Amino acid sequence: MTQLVLGQILNGAIIGAMYGIIALGITLTFGITGIVNFALGEFMMIGAYATYALAERGLPYPVAVVPACLIAAAAGYLSNKAFFRFTRNNLVNGLLVSIGLISIFESAAMLLWTATPVEMHFVLPGALRVGDIGLPKMKLVVFAVIVAVIVATYLGLARTWLGRAAFAYAQNPEAAMLMGVHTPRLETAVMLYSTGLAGLGGALYASLYSLEPAMGGVYVIKGMEAAILGGIGSLMGSLWGGVILGVIEGVGSIFLPTAFRDAYGLAVLVAILLFRPAGLFGDE
Amino acid sequence: MTGQALLWGTLYALPIFVRSDFLLTIFIFTFIYGILAVTFDLIFGFTGQLTMFHPAVFGVSAYMTHLLAVHSGLPFWAATLPSAAAAVVLAVVVGSICFKFRLKTFYFAVVTLAFAEMIRLGVMNWNSVTNGTLGLVVAGKPTIYWPGSGVVPIKGPIAWYYLTLVCLSVTALLCGLVLRSWMGRCFAAIRLNEDLARTLGVNVYRYKLLSFAIGNALASFAGGLYGYYTGYIDPGYLGINQSMEVLAMVLLGGQGTLTGPIVGSLVLTGLPHAIDLRAELRAVLYGAILIFTILVMPRGIVGTLNAWRSRRVS
Repeated sequence: MTQLVLGQILNGAIIGAMYGIIALGITLTFGITGIVNFALGEFMMIGAYATYALAERGLPYPVAVVPACLIAAAAGYLSNKAFFRFTRNNLVNGLLVSIGLISIFESAAMLLWTATPVEMHFVLPGALRVGDIGLPKMKLVVFAVIVAVIVATYLGLARTWLGRAAFAYAQNPEAAMLMGVHTPRLETAVMLYSTGLAGLGGALYASLYSLEPAMGGVYVIKGMEAAILGGIGSLMGSLWGGVILGVIEGVGSIFLPTAFRDAYGLAVLVAILLFRPAGLFGDE
Repeated sequence: MTGQALLWGTLYALPIFVRSDFLLTIFIFTFIYGILAVTFDLIFGFTGQLTMFHPAVFGVSAYMTHLLAVHSGLPFWAATLPSAAAAVVLAVVVGSICFKFRLKTFYFAVVTLAFAEMIRLGVMNWNSVTNGTLGLVVAGKPTIYWPGSGVVPIKGPIAWYYLTLVCLSVTALLCGLVLRSWMGRCFAAIRLNEDLARTLGVNVYRYKLLSFAIGNALASFAGGLYGYYTGYIDPGYLGINQSMEVLAMVLLGGQGTLTGPIVGSLVLTGLPHAIDLRAELRAVLYGAILIFTILVMPRGIVGTLNAWRSRRVS
């Protein structure tokens, strides 16, 4: 029983960290540039399929991750230049452009790889044994990487000039520009970073689970839930929001019917939002 | 006003000139989705609450209308009324929770989405009644009383065309009446500035709930019609995609207008089918239409036309 519960907690935390990385992207782009990028799940899908395609062509997995992130970031750069920058501070139009992009990317992936799920070979087989509990190594690695990335982002924004510039831009773009922040470049950087991160999330996802073109849609909804649970604008909140959602879904499905798996996270989300309407870490 | 008259006149006269079943079918889907889009716009465009609850009401009423008609032998129209009542109950429960706790914008959207998902999971797993993911086949037809030939079932594209068009007109008319009354003014006050509305004595909670309940009650008719028209119901009716689709229709046509959602519904159901492509490319086209229309006309088609006309007049 402990094995089962602990295993589900770890599984939930990993899935939750994936939600968290999408949530981080949503929070960053919205909090800093005022753009709603609801299509982040698609950049995750791009990253995942790029990793898969590169690994199939013989690249070792750790090497394939880097170009995969770059490909996702490049797609993000193009969509920002072509579409997203026109939807700044217009939430619903950003949402609409995202819906359009989801439709386009998803069907493009379906044309390239068909709707049949694909799976990569095991990257890092074996499990770490702690007492009588087995923890698959790859899952631990993935979890560590995601947590490290989110903490690094947090530190990067809290401690550096770039972070201060970003916060200044979020508060008042014109004033930030007058203070010498190159705002268009900053906006591009945020977009590149958030889509690149989503790509990384996808690349890590590809090492654990099977891929299908519709995966992005599921993950962006969960990422949105995680971002809102943590509080929009809070970076660590997105990680915690994701992990809480993931763990509740995992543990809930041991004790309660699995068919309602998604409902457990949602029920907790609703309960938390009722008592903290701005999310766990959000400002009132 | 002339624009509205022109639109409705054209729609009512259309089957006289158009005999193609294919085109009429597109219009029938447009009208059913139009009902959803107009009622969504009542809550979103006119009251400013981004609801994601529409698919739940749509799906539940599709199931309920069919099940009531089959199990208790009610005719279609009698079965839609309990479904609408159920929609009101659901809307009041969910709405009062959300509005009591003053959830706004994204937070409101996510909580309504959460409730819609829970209802979807409930419907999907209640196998004994809903037949799970396999769905149900709807064999019945709505009937109407036609002078001279008594009670006749609705069959064939032209009959369906007029049935759905009349339903859409009634929905739009009711929404228009609500918006013209004191309720519409309170909705607009809430949309423009909720805190100000509260200080001016508008009972924000009550009017938000009213808007939510009216919108969902009217939306429930779309569910019943859709199930009967396609002859098949499955839990996909309650999916998140439906929310996105309706949102896209409203934004594309122009939020905060009554004709906008109908135009949006026509564009998004019509255009991808009017061009003959395979399914994947059709989805690409759908996305491209969405993106380019909103970039060229950020206020939607009808919103931009209105702005253009008022600029020309002045």
